[in-house]
Amino acid sequence: MFIQIKDLCFCYGNTKNNTIQNFNLEIEQGEIISILGESGSGKSTVLRLLCGLETPRQGSITINGEVMTDHRRFVLPEKRGIGMVFQDYALFPHMTVAENIQFGLKGYSRRAKKQRVQEVLELINMTSYAKRYPHELSGGQQQRIALARALAPKPSLLLLDEPFSNLDADLQIKIRSELKDIIKKTGITSIFVTHDREDSKAIADRIITMRDGAAYDWESICTIREEQQKRPDLELVDMK
Amino acid sequence: MKLLRKLPGYLNIWSVLSLIIVILILMPNLTILVNFFTQKAENWGHIQEFILPDLIKNTSLLIVFTGFLTVMIGTSLAWLVSAYDFPMKAFFKWALILPLAIPPYIAGYTYNGIMNYTGVIQTTLRNRWDVTVDQKYFDILTLPGAVFIFTIFLFPYVYTITRAFLSNQSASLVENARLLGRNPWEVFFKIVLPISRGAIVGGVSLVLLEVLNDYGVVQFFGVPTFSTAIFQTWFGMNDLNSAIKLSATLMFIVFSILILEKILRGRKKYSNTTAKARPLTPIRLQGIQAWVAFSYCLVIFLLGFMIPFVQLVDWMFLTFHKIASPEFKSLIWNSLLVSFVGAAMIVVFAVIIANFSRMHQSILSKSAARVTILGYSIPGAVIAVGISTVFIQIDNYLFSFYETIGMEPTLFLSTSLFMLISAYVIRFLAIGYNSIESGFDKIGNKYTEASRMLGMNLTKTFFKVDLRMIKGPLISGFILAFIEILKELPLTLILRPFNFDTLSTKAFQYAGDEQIHEASLASIIIVIICGIAIYIFHQVLEKEPK
Repeated sequence: MFIQIKDLCFCYGNTKNNTIQNFNLEIEQGEIISILGESGSGKSTVLRLLCGLETPRQGSITINGEVMTDHRRFVLPEKRGIGMVFQDYALFPHMTVAENIQFGLKGYSRRAKKQRVQEVLELINMTSYAKRYPHELSGGQQQRIALARALAPKPSLLLLDEPFSNLDADLQIKIRSELKDIIKKTGITSIFVTHDREDSKAIADRIITMRDGAAYDWESICTIREEQQKRPDLELVDMK
Repeated sequence: MKLLRKLPGYLNIWSVLSLIIVILILMPNLTILVNFFTQKAENWGHIQEFILPDLIKNTSLLIVFTGFLTVMIGTSLAWLVSAYDFPMKAFFKWALILPLAIPPYIAGYTYNGIMNYTGVIQTTLRNRWDVTVDQKYFDILTLPGAVFIFTIFLFPYVYTITRAFLSNQSASLVENARLLGRNPWEVFFKIVLPISRGAIVGGVSLVLLEVLNDYGVVQFFGVPTFSTAIFQTWFGMNDLNSAIKLSATLMFIVFSILILEKILRGRKKYSNTTAKARPLTPIRLQGIQAWVAFSYCLVIFLLGFMIPFVQLVDWMFLTFHKIASPEFKSLIWNSLLVSFVGAAMIVVFAVIIANFSRMHQSILSKSAARVTILGYSIPGAVIAVGISTVFIQIDNYLFSFYETIGMEPTLFLSTSLFMLISAYVIRFLAIGYNSIESGFDKIGNKYTEASRMLGMNLTKTFFKVDLRMIKGPLISGFILAFIEILKELPLTLILRPFNFDTLSTKAFQYAGDEQIHEASLASIIIVIICGIAIYIFHQVLEKEPK
């Protein structure tokens, strides 16, 4: 298994109840996982635990055979090699698009940096925007830049926190398919969190539903997709 | 086990530096508290019996009357300016903050110069109309006179905080009350006063802390308070231990005020802008009402800024040729030097602690933030006592070290500028901290997190991302700390090295030596620098989107 999450428990400082309660999940390399749940179900917290921005109370996380956190080890977020697209993108307002993307390219030579920026900008079809500042871009463009920035250092895992929540409804559908294409092109293992069932169905290979801090049921949507191709009348099942 | 695993997250340069800074700040204050209970003081019995009752009486009277009057003036002006339109309102809106540019001790001797026998009022009455007045009506060197000075020059604390609250957060409540048929007086007393209680209490507690901190006014006016008594026992009676006991007593008073503030403010935070802020739409006043509002603002503005300012300028022209000398240049240089170095250190320390407490939501980081603010509530004279006690002890420890490196074994640190600047840092760290903390609050954690996800560690993230994004608050924190240090009197008087004078100490000395005219040049430089800073701040704050 590429990612193994075992018996993860977590609570925020000022509360007694666990936000995350015995969360278990295994993910294979290259899979696109969607974590679906209502607000307050703890889905974003799972992402923050995965990338090391929060420290779990119990349980372990292993990525590609390397223990990220367990009862005696904790790898700092900057050492985990995980990419993340934030809900409101968090593009640094004082840097241009190119500078934003370059930011994560540590240890690259100058030329290699330039080349990598060019590559990811091509990937998202925005090569002409390198010199712009974030506030000069539309919401959809900002989101693609945030994706490019996360992908640039070639992370082993990509996390997306409610990637569509700040977009208009019609833009959302367009970006959704674009996003899927980009992720598929890079072949990167991805987890994205959403409260929108349609988003999950459109992008994910597999959907995890979260309720009260635990992965409730999970089911491979791929098999259903295959079924669906054979029998067009088959509806996607409700996960709840 | 959990703690051990979390250590790599906790144990970094930020937490270590924060801890060191916190210890440095706490040390002088703890010294005072410890010595209060352990040391014997020779004059303490005498002081307790004959001086302390007077000190407590004077201090209470000053606090009660100044508190009451600043609330009345500050709140009424804040309401008038936020809820109504009248002639020149836009000007008064910021001009009413200007009294803060004139330090109370400068205002005190200026008003005395205006009112006394040789002052402009009495000489005009005598020469033009041949009227000689009874001196007792014109003597302001009394306790009521001190209350007048404190009120007129400190009310802007109440005014600014209350106005910010009213104009941003009261709109829907006030408009509803109007729609429900309440007249303006009822709206003021039934809605405005209760909802702005938190803001008013916050403002007035700043006023009271300033009153307790003051040394210049009460010394000049001959009203004995704790500050003057600390000076006297320390330098007059040469009894540091009694000074420590007085300081500790004053600290207890300060803490009671802070606790009272917490209770009075209740759970109402005045700076909480979660709801979408909609500005209050002002009502246009007509006819006589408009003129009453205008006159009220004008009188306060004249008393609080224009009259003393014009008088100072007048005196400055009288004495300019006498005062402006190379020696005076060195005063300016000294003032700028200590203010600049002090403010720079404040900003650096404030950034370190603010960044630490933002990264780690723990008891340690929260108490670090609390301690930072502590210094601002402790009167200058008390900090001076604490810090020189600590420095003299350090010098004693280092005595043999001085000998080995071939230095004259003396009190090296405790007679250096270093001690004075450390005291400034302790006293005014809160000012830089508040500004920087609110800057961090505004940008939130997401940029930092994004940077860490891109492989930058905390320190690199700080220099590449965080620091760039809080540039504005950083600069404003620096300027605010700078002008506070420029105006500062009691700490500077006590802790400055021998023969080291600043604009504020020189102005105070001249005034104390009955050379009031000569004090004007130094005073006016302070007032103008502070005035400009206040104006810039007002412009910046007004433009900033809330």
